[in-house]
Amino acid sequence: MGVGIDMSEPRTAAPGRRRHVTKVISTLARLGLAGVWLVAGGSKVADLGSSVRAVNAYELLPNGAAQIVGSALPFVEIMVGLLLLAGLFTRAAAILSAGLLVMFIFGIATAWARGLQIDCGCFGGGGALAAGESPTYFWETLRDIGFLAGAGFLILRPHTWLSLDGVLLGGPSGPETSKGQ
Amino acid sequence: MSRRVEQKTAARVVREQIAKEDRRRRVMWTAIGVTLAVLVAGAIGYGVWQAQQPTQFNVPATATEKQDGMVIPGTTGKAKVEIYLDYQCPACKQVEDAITPTVDQWIKENKITLVYHPVAILDQFSAPNQYSTRTSSAAGCAADGGKLYEFSKQLFARQPAENTGGLPDDDIIAAGGDAGLIDPAFARCVRDGTYKGWAKKLTDDFTKRGLKGTPTLFVNDVEVVADKGKGDTSVVDALKRMVTDVK
Repeated sequence: MGVGIDMSEPRTAAPGRRRHVTKVISTLARLGLAGVWLVAGGSKVADLGSSVRAVNAYELLPNGAAQIVGSALPFVEIMVGLLLLAGLFTRAAAILSAGLLVMFIFGIATAWARGLQIDCGCFGGGGALAAGESPTYFWETLRDIGFLAGAGFLILRPHTWLSLDGVLLGGPSGPETSKGQ
Repeated sequence: MSRRVEQKTAARVVREQIAKEDRRRRVMWTAIGVTLAVLVAGAIGYGVWQAQQPTQFNVPATATEKQDGMVIPGTTGKAKVEIYLDYQCPACKQVEDAITPTVDQWIKENKITLVYHPVAILDQFSAPNQYSTRTSSAAGCAADGGKLYEFSKQLFARQPAENTGGLPDDDIIAAGGDAGLIDPAFARCVRDGTYKGWAKKLTDDFTKRGLKGTPTLFVNDVEVVADKGKGDTSVVDALKRMVTDVK
């Protein structure tokens, strides 16, 4: 999916030991991200109205669009979480994760820059902060950048243990990863 | 070059082309598959949100035309003041306490038409007792008894702290009693949750209006926001200025 750089893996260049360590890190990144998405989506899915209000709070989208984004997002997050958990389409799911995270970081950064007093609504809740509460944009941004780093690693090194990609296709899906090179 | 080597080279080129074609196809199907999965997941979410909108609910007699709030009886002034509130919200209590003397005066002078939107967005702070939803529903009962304004003051006076499980129905009924709602029909209405569907409808309309939290106030459909340039130090100042400006 639309990524222009050559991401072929240096299969032969890396010594066996290092490749093994890489695969372990990729697996941890994959399962960690899966957990993040499942918790994030799961905490919103029971109260879609709250999710829409959290989107409203960013004051970036008109009413109708905020309703679509707010109600669709929890389900998309759960879907990406399940793909990562299963290790199916790992690279594509990692690209999706990175896309979502970039969107979130942008949203939080603009809220910060505009001086809005909101809860990011990242893991449920969200909306305007009550009087006396202060926003925690710095930590929210830092956390999302951390997740983004994990997603980036997984895009570059999508081979993981315990993945459906490994079982079904003999390798993760995505460009330049089939065996025939 | 020998014939044999030529054949080998040709076979290798063909193999590479097939592998390349395989990769291309796999990337394409992955992209299509994952894009479809995202669209389907998103469509399910939007569908669930739409399907969750209540269609059958009781509406109090004093409901606004759009059925998204209740008019305080006897207020017919030119400035339409709308208050979105949640009885669990501390900031709503602060604003209510601050504006009450002024609003009482406005009501006496018939300067305003007062509309209450008691939404239920803070149920998570009284989990699992749904204090916000129950009081929102009870507000409909109080409106039927003609005492919503007084009832709201009583509820705010007894507002439970967040994360303490809210108040039981008996306390809500007692608040009504102190507001003059002594008809047993009020107590029954509170206990039965007669207007719980209405509470959900109010809350969804609040969300669909693009609002994000409580309290939110409007004067003649313009959101009340403190404007430092006009000398406001708070929402209360802004409200007073905006209502005074209505001629």
